[in-house]
Amino acid sequence: MSESLVTLALIAVKLGLIFAVILFMAAYLVLAERKILGRMQLRYGPNRTGPFGLMQPLADVIKLLTKEDFVPARADKWLFLLAPGITAVTALLVFAVVPFGPTREIFGQQVPLVVVDLNIGVLYVLGVSSMAVYGVVLGGWASNSKYSLLGGVRGLSQMISYELSLGLSLVPVIMMARSFSLTDIVMAQQNLPFLLLNPVAFGVFFICVLAESNRIPFDLPEAENELVGGFHTEYSGMRFGLFFVGEYINMVVLGSLLTVFFLGGWHGPWLPPLAWFLIKVLAVCAMFIWIRASMPRLRYDQLMNLGWKILLPLSLLNILVTGAVLLGWG
Amino acid sequence: MHVVRGIRGTLQPFWVTLRNMFRKPVTVQYPEEKQQLPERYRARLILTRDPDGAERCVACHLCSAACPVDCISMQAVEAEDGRRYAAWFRINFTRCIFCGLCTEACPTLAIQVTADFELAGRDLLKLVYEKEDLLVDHCGTNSNYNFYRQSGIGVSAPRGRNPGEAPPADVKDLMP
Amino acid sequence: MITLTADIVRSTNKKLTMPTLTIDNQTITVPEGKTILEAAEALGIVVPHFCYHKDLGAVGSCRMCAVTVHTGPMPGLKMACLIPVEEGMVVTTGDDASATFRERVGEWLMLNHPHDCPVCDEGGECQLQEMTISSGHGIRRYKGDKGTYTNQDLGPYVAQEMNRCIQCYRCARTYKDYCGGRDFGVMGSRNRVFFGRFKDGMLESDFSGNLVDVCPTGVFTDRTFRFKSRSWDLEQADSVCPHCAVGCATIPGGRLRELQRVCSGDNPQVNASFICDRGRFGSGYASHPERPRQARHKDQNISVEDALTLLESQIRTAVQQHGPEAVLLLGSDRASLETNWLLQRTAKHFGCRVPVLNAHARRHQTAQIAAFDFSDRLASLEDVRNSDLVLVFGVDPLAEAPLLALALRQMVRKQGRVLLYDPRPVELPCEFDHQAFSPAGLQELLENGGVEGRHLRDLLGQAQRPVIVAGADLLGPLGLQSLHAWASGASNAERSCQVYPVLAGANSFGTALLSLPEQDDLLTRLESGKVKALICVETDPLLEAPHGERFSAALAQVDNLVVMDYLPTPLSTNAGLFIPTCPPVEDSGTFINNEGRLRRFRQVIKPGLSLARTGAGEHPSREFTLITPGGDPLPAALVLQRLIRQEQELSELHRHLAEDQPRLKELPTITPGAPGKRVKPAVTRPQKTDKLPEQPAGTFQLVVSPARYGSDLFSRFAAKLAPRLTSTRLYLHPDDLFERGLKDGEKAVVETDFGSFRLTVASRPGMAAGCALVENNGDCPQLIPGAGLSYCHIAPGGADE
Ligand code: SF4
Ligand code: SF4
Ligand code: SF4
Ligand code: SF4
Ligand code: FES
Repeated sequence: MSESLVTLALIAVKLGLIFAVILFMAAYLVLAERKILGRMQLRYGPNRTGPFGLMQPLADVIKLLTKEDFVPARADKWLFLLAPGITAVTALLVFAVVPFGPTREIFGQQVPLVVVDLNIGVLYVLGVSSMAVYGVVLGGWASNSKYSLLGGVRGLSQMISYELSLGLSLVPVIMMARSFSLTDIVMAQQNLPFLLLNPVAFGVFFICVLAESNRIPFDLPEAENELVGGFHTEYSGMRFGLFFVGEYINMVVLGSLLTVFFLGGWHGPWLPPLAWFLIKVLAVCAMFIWIRASMPRLRYDQLMNLGWKILLPLSLLNILVTGAVLLGWG
Repeated sequence: MHVVRGIRGTLQPFWVTLRNMFRKPVTVQYPEEKQQLPERYRARLILTRDPDGAERCVACHLCSAACPVDCISMQAVEAEDGRRYAAWFRINFTRCIFCGLCTEACPTLAIQVTADFELAGRDLLKLVYEKEDLLVDHCGTNSNYNFYRQSGIGVSAPRGRNPGEAPPADVKDLMP
Repeated sequence: MITLTADIVRSTNKKLTMPTLTIDNQTITVPEGKTILEAAEALGIVVPHFCYHKDLGAVGSCRMCAVTVHTGPMPGLKMACLIPVEEGMVVTTGDDASATFRERVGEWLMLNHPHDCPVCDEGGECQLQEMTISSGHGIRRYKGDKGTYTNQDLGPYVAQEMNRCIQCYRCARTYKDYCGGRDFGVMGSRNRVFFGRFKDGMLESDFSGNLVDVCPTGVFTDRTFRFKSRSWDLEQADSVCPHCAVGCATIPGGRLRELQRVCSGDNPQVNASFICDRGRFGSGYASHPERPRQARHKDQNISVEDALTLLESQIRTAVQQHGPEAVLLLGSDRASLETNWLLQRTAKHFGCRVPVLNAHARRHQTAQIAAFDFSDRLASLEDVRNSDLVLVFGVDPLAEAPLLALALRQMVRKQGRVLLYDPRPVELPCEFDHQAFSPAGLQELLENGGVEGRHLRDLLGQAQRPVIVAGADLLGPLGLQSLHAWASGASNAERSCQVYPVLAGANSFGTALLSLPEQDDLLTRLESGKVKALICVETDPLLEAPHGERFSAALAQVDNLVVMDYLPTPLSTNAGLFIPTCPPVEDSGTFINNEGRLRRFRQVIKPGLSLARTGAGEHPSREFTLITPGGDPLPAALVLQRLIRQEQELSELHRHLAEDQPRLKELPTITPGAPGKRVKPAVTRPQKTDKLPEQPAGTFQLVVSPARYGSDLFSRFAAKLAPRLTSTRLYLHPDDLFERGLKDGEKAVVETDFGSFRLTVASRPGMAAGCALVENNGDCPQLIPGAGLSYCHIAPGGADE
């Protein structure tokens, strides 16, 4: 067996595994979210399908698949069909550079637990994740519905505003790790996660990640009470499902990024690295859910104020301070 | 002060939701557990009878006019004795939203709500109730009222012999 | 500031002053003589009222309309319906004093009112409900007993529930004063006043149904509509009565695909706010159980689409093989203007000869005289009401144009004079001078006149607003043309002598107006033998035109008989190809009435088998389908448009019609419910008139008159009118009866040009001698009015069948 074949096979296996794990996680995150939200509101959440409602995701998938795939009259048909795919795929693509464990030896090969370890990983992450907005905008635009259009426009301006702070809050991380590679960034946190070293950057990044994922308190593009369903008002069946699943994949992916950039990746005592990674990602997701249960949605002007007048200056300042400190330190 | 309030307002909900996590949910597990419904719960409608055992409904169409979803229809006819009643009376429970506005509108107390809410089914036509499905053998919530005794047009008693009525005028009488 | 335009006040030399007054801080200028109530109404301020009625005036008996007048020598509470406006008047309607007064009046009116709104048919359109609520009265304080009455049985049309009366006297004012009925009135004294007949029995007046519209409470309700629907559930629309050519405004109402009642509409120029019982209770034709609802080809039910394809190919083949003469399209005076015009268009489309628009040739001819010769001097019914002298020639108003009788009564109430010349024993609800002239005598009177004629023409010349009412059926083209000369002679520079022609069908005027000079009549065309396909649109020449036997004979030469109709007439049963159409209540269109007024009607209900079920235990079907059972019929105008494949919106159609017919220029601007506008005048059109036939010795002049009920086809198929139908008799003057040795109630055989009939004889002192009068209704369908002067032999006896 030639080495390249093994490498290819390993990559294929890795890809398959990652796909499976992420989709599985996304599906059960939905269930988890519904259950946790339920409990936080003194309800049970889904508990009828299977023991403890564990088959709920499966039932949902069947339901979504068998529903009519509806295209509104005078919608821009191709864009309309394409948009949900963009959201889901970009979210998945980001994961390509996320390292979820240290390099391992399998079949005598050094296998890095990352799909590809790009040396410009951070730029890739930023680039690809900002593509996700196209799904929202195009979906909103193509539906030929006022609610969808408003949702799309909101999504667009929201993401542009937060993209900036998101990127800037990563600059201190890069400065500290002295690398664009995500694996290097994790390695740099061997002793101390950046969360502790630079809590301000973490704070800004966390907020921006929430905003990127369109979740409460930043779910203006789909604000149900005013826009029916926002950009996905007109979607039904599995296409709606794609948007929906995309959101949860995004949650997992963004959780991973948070873990990688600030929570020290797979580093941790006692437990195996993979377990640590998983625990951290899930913890972030749990935090997301908790926030959803506890916070109201921001008003549009508050959202803009926060993005442009607080987060942006704060992250700029943070860069300066970090730079100065790093210079002073050595 | 402002800042403190703001921070408290932001954080407190987290505490509340967290605490709720560990409380017992209030959900009643229908259909295994049944809920004790309040006495005046608004669900399936019935047509009641007056204390003399006759149909109360006079087919006045007021309930159908009041119904916001237009799910009541009927046809009035006249009986031998001048009584107006419904030849047919149909409520389409697939449309009814159980708002009870019909019972508010009913001048004869004929249409009343019951607490029987278990109407779900797969055959929509089974939810289209006709008069024979709606009519019950009791007076419902008020067992005294008989519209025709108050109406002043002489159906349950001859004209001028109901409570609060003077005997018919003798129109040929010229006494001042 | 709003100005209410003055009614057309003609005669008075008095200068019209227009006082300005203030009501609730709004100023308005109204013509002198208007009351505060009318001025307030024009401003949109509702002053509660009962006894005031637009057409009955005010009597001040209900005391509901109290308002406060702040100016003048005696300011204070006044009855708004009684006080004429004055310059500078200041009135408030919502101040404490008048509001409290009205509330008390409301409370007092309700003292004896029963608690039965739920079972009262007036509920939902009850003025008492509305006014009580607007007056503010809510809770009864009086503890005493409520007064009651015993009801009367007033026949099959009007139901009475006297307990509901509030003593506004509107019913008596309508029935006795306005309509001239004599068997109904006020009885009793103090709080026992009773409105009804002296004893039980059917109301005699032909306008009895107006009690239902006029009574502001539920005392009088429509018995034929009893408990059928609530007003709010009805589908209603502004329509036009199709029963005669007066063209009254009506508001038919239907529910569950059944036409359930007809109310009077309001057209100040035509019927004011009243209609006759024929129009009100004659609506059963739309849901007649035998109404044909399915397209048919030779006993085979087919779809309307297939029928149209078949019809198209039949017409094309006939025209190709036998030329343009081969297809004859026949219009009708009960079909709308649009349908008749589309017939002409259809003929053009297929290259056939011009259609014949009325099967009854002579009626068509007289209608043309009305539509062309008289077109610059047509009187409206309002003109008749305001006239001071009306000469009526050859009309029995109650039979031919009931609302004309009411109009005549109104003019007599205003000191006008009516002179009537007719062979029939005419009755009118007013004072009038009747001269019984035989038809031939009438012609003579109109032609050379003699002493009587000169006297009449002098009267016309002296009158200030003279109107001549001309019966087209009896006078014929000759008589109408003479009257035209009379009218021109009696006109002068200040005023013209107007004519009110009385035509037969709802749209006689319209068909005449559309008719082309080159069209000849049905029988000539048929008997030429060239016609291979006859297409009758909403007409049955057997029932609507004389000489049915000639028509039937000629039919034998026709290969294809196509009928489009909505009535179960004999012709539609025998048609080779039948296509169901819709009566006016299921269609939108236009009629032109006697006075040349365009009257638009709007669709009230959709065609389909009625869902109404009233038997015990019955309810509408529990099956649900997307197609309406019996919903096949389409309006004839639509059928024709589909046939020529040019479907257009009604407005578009009207635009084309107006371009085609400059006299109908106003058509696109007319809306249903509006008074409607007159057609433009036209030049006279030459008519060929035949000489009157000589009277053979020993004969009588045959007078065929429409019966009051059951003559027009609509009322013949209206079940509700059954109680009013009379059986056909042969009426003779008592002298003639004696001369022939006949007695009242005996049988006699009448030999006419239209067949011989065995009828019961009855003597009628009021009619012209030398005449034999027969009424046309379902019993004698061969005898059609307006067939021209003819003579008959009468022989006593005849064997019993
Ligand atoms: S409860 Fe409400 S919706 Fe139901 S029938 Fe009555 S009025 Fe209609
Ligand atoms: S409101 Fe009451 S009396 Fe009237 S129709 Fe309805 S149920 Fe019958
Ligand atoms: S019967 Fe009707 S119209 Fe006549 S007085 Fe009474 S309430 Fe008025
Ligand atoms: S007068 Fe003629 S048009 Fe008027 S309601 Fe009577 S039948 Fe109809
Ligand atoms: S309306 Fe004026 S008193 Fe009746």
